[in-house]
Amino acid sequence: MERQNKFLLVLLIIIMLSFIVLGLITDGPGGALKGFIQIQVHSGRLISDFIPIGGIGGTLINASLAGAVGLFIIVILKVQLSGPTYAAIFTIMGFGFFGKTPLNILPILFGVYLSSKVAGKMFREYIIIALFGTALGPLVSFMVFEFGFTGVTAVAAGILAGTITGFLLPAIAVSMLHLHQGYNLYNMGLSCGFFALFAASLVRAAGHQFESTMVWYSGESPVVIWLVPVLSIGLIIIGLVSEKMKSIKEFINIQKIPGRLPSDFMDMASLGGALINSGLIGIAGSIYIFLVRGDFNGAMIAGLLTIMGFGAFGTHLKNSWSIVLGVVMSTLLFGWELSSPGPLLAALFGTTLAPLAGQFGILTGIIAGFIHLIMVMQTGAWQGGMNLYNNGFAGGLTAAIIVAVIQWYSSSKEDFS
Amino acid sequence: MKRKDIILHLISEISGYLLEENPMRLVISLHQEKDGLHLSVMDDNEHTDEEIAKMEKDLNRPKRPELSGYYGAMTGQDLLGSSRLNLLGWQVKHADVARTSGGIKIDLWLGGDKFDSERFNIPEK
Repeated sequence: MERQNKFLLVLLIIIMLSFIVLGLITDGPGGALKGFIQIQVHSGRLISDFIPIGGIGGTLINASLAGAVGLFIIVILKVQLSGPTYAAIFTIMGFGFFGKTPLNILPILFGVYLSSKVAGKMFREYIIIALFGTALGPLVSFMVFEFGFTGVTAVAAGILAGTITGFLLPAIAVSMLHLHQGYNLYNMGLSCGFFALFAASLVRAAGHQFESTMVWYSGESPVVIWLVPVLSIGLIIIGLVSEKMKSIKEFINIQKIPGRLPSDFMDMASLGGALINSGLIGIAGSIYIFLVRGDFNGAMIAGLLTIMGFGAFGTHLKNSWSIVLGVVMSTLLFGWELSSPGPLLAALFGTTLAPLAGQFGILTGIIAGFIHLIMVMQTGAWQGGMNLYNNGFAGGLTAAIIVAVIQWYSSSKEDFS
Repeated sequence: MKRKDIILHLISEISGYLLEENPMRLVISLHQEKDGLHLSVMDDNEHTDEEIAKMEKDLNRPKRPELSGYYGAMTGQDLLGSSRLNLLGWQVKHADVARTSGGIKIDLWLGGDKFDSERFNIPEK
């Protein structure tokens, strides 16, 4: 385990440094720094692609530093680097292109820390909740930059809102797990979405109306297009080199795991097998975007890095393709474009429901993907765009209804007669 | 989590696991002390050596506080899908799985920082 820990630490640091170097090269140090600062003062609500806001360089630096905050906390708490924490760091970095900043995640992390103290637990017991709970980073930025406060009051409001949010998340997160029983991988998406419903309602009650936000990069930068494919190939090579034939065998074994939370593929199979799985998922996602003629941008990188992260914690090719098929069918049936933002994000993030397909089969996966798309096209507006894991929220609702039906059916036969 | 809730979740998860094989007999025994407890569960089903080895491996996982503190809440709540012994493994001090004349016996030891194994007969390796 210690060897794996050090290996992953070095790997993640190299990825983060690479992002920073690439960012400085792309926009120059001055341009990248300026872009980074512009991102810090943006509310980041859905849908806010940071690339048009801060440039490619500033966005890469933002993503790297947001991930570094998470990694730093993991290291000082001496938490094992494995599937769940690998997924958390990749998700934070991904959303560093699409809503999270190193600043807007801090109050939430602090709030979860306080919650752990009140509950008499070590912070490391809540670290997964804290890291994924940063999905509500835009809530903090919204209070500071959009709600209407100014100066110190605005900053205090943001910190207070984020701290309260983080404080309540552990209670909500544990409850939400029972709703879908681990069949929705982005449980924090469901939890944050549930909380954001109340937060958004409070904001509306205070007289503020959420302005619809759509910032979407449609350029064709080679850096943006090739970032994830190159990273994916790198992970595959690293996986193969680290364990050779064993990594291929374990990659195949991973495909047999249903993926229900918590399925740490690095523990249940191997580090090398999980890295290959992660890389192949990144390649598959990139190919999908290319095939449907979607835009490669910050939002897509967020989706790709997230599913790659969960390639070590629940998602694999076998349990996710039917979900994507369901999303595609739903999109075409209801007349949406596969390349438009909502369906494109749903196709990637809808794999939060992969455990349903992994456990109950292809038909369940297709149905889950189908319902998921319908839900996710509505749920963003319910929460004012403050929950970045909107697909996790919609996925949680979808998983809950499917689990309820399956559970009812499987328990409806009389055993004693 | 309160001690009573922990015990209920442990019993539910381990019983659920064994009940999947529909034993005719299932015996549950609990011994509590101030700083820990010993839970023993026996069934009367045949289990292969591979199955017993896998159970022992899953129940003796390295401690993962970042997982047990969060996902451990699902212990004993598996209403749909298979029971998962690793959820228990992250939370117990030690587990032992042994074959009996008619089935198997699973022993779980759980305790806090002041847990004294001498009072609970954890087998010496």
